[in-house]
Amino acid sequence: MTQNLQYFLIPFMDWRIMLLLWGGVFAGIWVGAIPGLSGTMAVSLLISFTFSWEINDALAVMCGTFVGAVYGGAITAILLNIPGAPAAIATGMEGYPLAQKGEAGKAIGLCTTVSLFAGFVGVAALAAAAPIIARFALKFSPRDFFLLAVMGILLIGSIGGGDPIKGIMSGTVGILISMIGMDPSTGELRYTFGSLNLMAGISFVTAMIGLFGVSEALTQFRTSGAKSPKQNLTKVIPDWPTFKKYLPLAVRSSLLGVFIGALPGTGGDVAALLAYDQAKRTTRNPETPFGHGAYEGLVAPETANKGAIGGAFIPMLTLGIPGDAITAIIIGALFIHGLRPGPMLMIETPHLFWMIVSMLIIANVALFVLGLLSVRPFAKIIEIPKSIIMPIIIILSVIGTYAIQNSVVDVFYMTGFGVLGYFMRLYGYATGPMVLGLILGPMLDSNYRRTMQIAEDRLFPFVSGFFTSPLSFFLTASIVFMLFSQTKLYRKWRGIE
Amino acid sequence: MRTESAPQDLSVYVPEKVRRPGEIGFAVLGTLIGVLGYYFAMGMTSDSYSAPSVFPKIASAVITACGAASLAKAIKRAKPPANSGTLFQFLLPGDVLFMLAMLVVYCLALPKLHFILSSYAFMVVGMVWLHRGKKILQSLIISAGTLAVLVAVFRYVFLVILP
Repeated sequence: MTQNLQYFLIPFMDWRIMLLLWGGVFAGIWVGAIPGLSGTMAVSLLISFTFSWEINDALAVMCGTFVGAVYGGAITAILLNIPGAPAAIATGMEGYPLAQKGEAGKAIGLCTTVSLFAGFVGVAALAAAAPIIARFALKFSPRDFFLLAVMGILLIGSIGGGDPIKGIMSGTVGILISMIGMDPSTGELRYTFGSLNLMAGISFVTAMIGLFGVSEALTQFRTSGAKSPKQNLTKVIPDWPTFKKYLPLAVRSSLLGVFIGALPGTGGDVAALLAYDQAKRTTRNPETPFGHGAYEGLVAPETANKGAIGGAFIPMLTLGIPGDAITAIIIGALFIHGLRPGPMLMIETPHLFWMIVSMLIIANVALFVLGLLSVRPFAKIIEIPKSIIMPIIIILSVIGTYAIQNSVVDVFYMTGFGVLGYFMRLYGYATGPMVLGLILGPMLDSNYRRTMQIAEDRLFPFVSGFFTSPLSFFLTASIVFMLFSQTKLYRKWRGIE
Repeated sequence: MRTESAPQDLSVYVPEKVRRPGEIGFAVLGTLIGVLGYYFAMGMTSDSYSAPSVFPKIASAVITACGAASLAKAIKRAKPPANSGTLFQFLLPGDVLFMLAMLVVYCLALPKLHFILSSYAFMVVGMVWLHRGKKILQSLIISAGTLAVLVAVFRYVFLVILP
């Protein structure tokens, strides 16, 4: 115990680790804020120039960048309606209307404060319950992942806005687009039409930048003469009553984030969308309706994606299985440094576990300080005239898209998605569900087919599995509840409308 | 032709009783995507419940059904008012058309002129156009400064390869 405490305190005493953590968070915030530049990309770049460093130093800069990048995605989502990362899509839906009302500073301030809280919840779960959560996460079968993806798809109702039929259509087109390319299980080509470029499929990040970034710029050009809203920056840090008001929601969403983050293959993006949906379903009489700047809609996704950070480390440190893409890269870094991530990691190298716990705590504190310090300069971005900021956004979108796989073809795809998104907005089709479909399509397809193959391609065993496994039954019941909670009967009963 | 009137802000969808110009055409296009998606999925392996064609077929069928429903809704709505302008003016007002054309030219120029030159030209021309031909010097300076920062940060700090 005393030994573990000593390991835990090392990063607090080492100025070099401290500096690297703060530097990593700072760089991560900026990387995360730019659509296309992701935490995954930044951490993988870090591997190349940290492989000769001490493992503690390398981990410090990676952990800092990870935490900063997850937070950074929310900034452009709130200010410009262009999520820096898929985990910030839901944040933009409520944050952007707030920025249009001049409340961008308050929105970012609240996001920063609840992010600190959620970060601590994630780290606490990692420190206290890592082995238990990891064992439970491993019980998830392909059928359960399929059900989780179905739950995700049901979010179309939440993020679609306007006409639900158009939302479903947009989401399904996203699923169809996600099928383009080589089928990962059989190698069969789907919708490639003989094109080599289409064989690798279309990256959902490219689509996201086009559908949110370029289409937002094109839409803004319709009103390019209009003045940008003046931002109120007098009270950025939320007061105690405000924080207390959102605390129960923050706790729920953070824990949801920890759990989703701990599931291999899912991360902050799915957690944030699920938490947003839950907040929308369960919040009674929000001060501002959802879709028009509800603070509950900011708190839920932001706490979920921060909670997911701690969650993602759980299977990585206890079982050697990455919780998401970034922890997969960190596993690679551990291998490079001669360590063997797996069940023995905590026994053979307990110092690593406790140092990562304390590094994540420091990174969250750094995030809080640097995040609050950058509220004012970030909020000023929105006051720049559209005639200047919009061409710059297009250039940033091009850089971000090209950076994904250094391909000009992706830039053309991005432009195509931008034009499609512009026309979709014109006719009231929300672009969010399409990105959701692109993210969840492969998860739905692959897990459905694995489940069906386990059931030997017979319908009865496939269907009965949803009721015979306790975990699948719980998820199926949750889906039924989600559908029921969309009915007027439920909303009347709960007093939501 | 440049349109000086300020068109409606479309960042928030508001259900309308009157249909927008071209709404029927867009719904037809959506339905067509579903039909074509299903048609091409028929060419994929379909020998079992776990075949690669299952999800493409389901997705295409849902798109077709939603497209048809949107089409029926659009037809039921009242016609767009006579003063709503032409379809082209509605879809692509002057600034949108110009910036979109610029974006296409920029994408085509990227492989030949590379990032710095093509981006600088795009920013300067875009800003000057949006400033209605004024503030040329300001546009030249802002574009140069922005580009210098972008190249320094992305190329040399984040080690991102630029087009």
